[in-house]
Amino acid sequence: MDDHVITVLNNIGGFSFIALSAYLLLLSGEISFGQQAFYGIGAYASGIMTAMFGMSFWLALPLAMLVSGLAAALVGGLTLRLRGLYFAIATLAFAETIRLILVATTWQVEVDGEPVGPNGSEGLGNIRWGFDNEYEPVDFLWMIYGTLGIVLLLFFLMERSRLGSIVRTIGADRLLAETQGINVTRYKILVAGLAGAIAAIGGAFYAHIQTTVYPENFDVMLGVHSLAYGLIGGLGTAVGPILGVLLDVGFLEAVEWVQGYRMIVFGGLVAVLLIFMPRGILDERRVHRLRTMLRGWRTETHGAAGN
Amino acid sequence: MGSGYALLAIGFTLIFGVLRRLNLSYGPSIMVGVFFGTFLFLQFQAGWYAVLVATVLGAVIAGAYVERLCFWAIKKGAAVASMVSSFAVWMQLEEAVTIAFPDRTYEFPALGDFELIELGELSVRQEHLIMLGIAALLVFALHQLLFRTRFGLAVRAVSEDPDAALFMGVNTGRVIFLAFILASAIGGVAGYFIMATEEVITPKFGLQATFKGLIAMMLGGMGSVPGAIAGGLLLGVVEKQAEWYAGAVWRDIAAFLLLFVFLIFRPGGLLAQGAAARDLAALRRV
Repeated sequence: MDDHVITVLNNIGGFSFIALSAYLLLLSGEISFGQQAFYGIGAYASGIMTAMFGMSFWLALPLAMLVSGLAAALVGGLTLRLRGLYFAIATLAFAETIRLILVATTWQVEVDGEPVGPNGSEGLGNIRWGFDNEYEPVDFLWMIYGTLGIVLLLFFLMERSRLGSIVRTIGADRLLAETQGINVTRYKILVAGLAGAIAAIGGAFYAHIQTTVYPENFDVMLGVHSLAYGLIGGLGTAVGPILGVLLDVGFLEAVEWVQGYRMIVFGGLVAVLLIFMPRGILDERRVHRLRTMLRGWRTETHGAAGN
Repeated sequence: MGSGYALLAIGFTLIFGVLRRLNLSYGPSIMVGVFFGTFLFLQFQAGWYAVLVATVLGAVIAGAYVERLCFWAIKKGAAVASMVSSFAVWMQLEEAVTIAFPDRTYEFPALGDFELIELGELSVRQEHLIMLGIAALLVFALHQLLFRTRFGLAVRAVSEDPDAALFMGVNTGRVIFLAFILASAIGGVAGYFIMATEEVITPKFGLQATFKGLIAMMLGGMGSVPGAIAGGLLLGVVEKQAEWYAGAVWRDIAAFLLLFVFLIFRPGGLLAQGAAARDLAALRRV
């Protein structure tokens, strides 16, 4: 594989995490415009731990997830009362506050005679863990897709479990969920925290591949893109948001002639798609139909083998 | 600055009040108008009235495009889809303008050379006073339009209950479209005066206009015109104070922090009364 393909694949993998994070919140009925904050917290927290304090990435990753997840749970708790557009705007306000505070913050320590640490809009540089340990982009590729595989597996397990149906019930009708004896408050905070932790994985990988991250990487564009991925790809299955990422990064990157007009094409695509499929390509109905089809096909082949 | 924010917030609130949906492309449509105006100025040295007309016209055309694609075409009940779709169109508009105007910044004609007015210890820019006057005038005209004409009645009816309005023989689709046009025109005027005091424009103006308008609207309370004015003025004052005491970055931090705190403790906004409670009820249905 040449370097460009690997970069594109790494991008797809990285964005998949934040898309899944926005998707999880969409399932519980919340539209968040602020998941980029937790992606950013993941990137900064893991970068600070490895670059400034010489930690291993494998230790920094879960710690960054923890930090980001706790922050997300806190925001989730604060915004419990808000719904719909109010929640969306509150998360947006939070994310922009975090981004701007990063712009205003400078905190550096000396590592090998060089100052390292967040430096306002100059960003956090010198995240050399990958370089020092001779990790190539291909190695990161395996790490990203391995982690993504685990997260996806957890998503599939969740969808089949009690937790999955509780989350979807809350998303469909909060009042109904409450009358079923579900502690909505607790689950909302749990979902917000999980979503924050998932977004942080993407951010941590991003920081260690790029080696420098800037506050502007985590602006509202990233957040709304991640939301759009779920809405394009579909809310029926965790594959949906990843399909959305593939459509955006993969397809538009692969087709030469759209290069200069990328946003015009992608924007138009999203707008038209949402007219015909307001819950995305793989929405609940289509997923159900596909599953039935698959099951029918499976029993058919089994039947043939039996004869 | 506050009066400019107030005007932006009024445009926002008008669209939200009628549609119960958020138009994120509002700022970018104004940005399209502003670039229309600056194009006339740079190419033909057009006078201020021609630039103003072009700005409003550009904003209205872009607004009409947004309304057709993101709101009219998407079914009722899919408010989230509309919001995301309006964001997608925002990307389109921003890139279209960036391609048409490849430099980072462009000059925008100033209102004229005005001296500072000294009021005791305060000095005030005349442009700001003119903007305040225009804003007051527009608010008055809007109030007359909404409460004294048949069209205004229709707008308020649709805002109250679209289905009931439809049964009463109101052409809701047309009213929504016209309200959108009206909001875009107000946005165009706001954009013109904000730009005429700043004198430089960039494609990033779309983002700023959306954010400032949105924050001001939510501070005041969604869907309420007096709330939008109050929110705009509050935002202007807080931003200036933060900038004065802590520096330019803190100006925006203060704006977003203020919004976040407001949403947590007083989600209905400054004028949280019956109207805001109704909004919340409507949102619960969305």
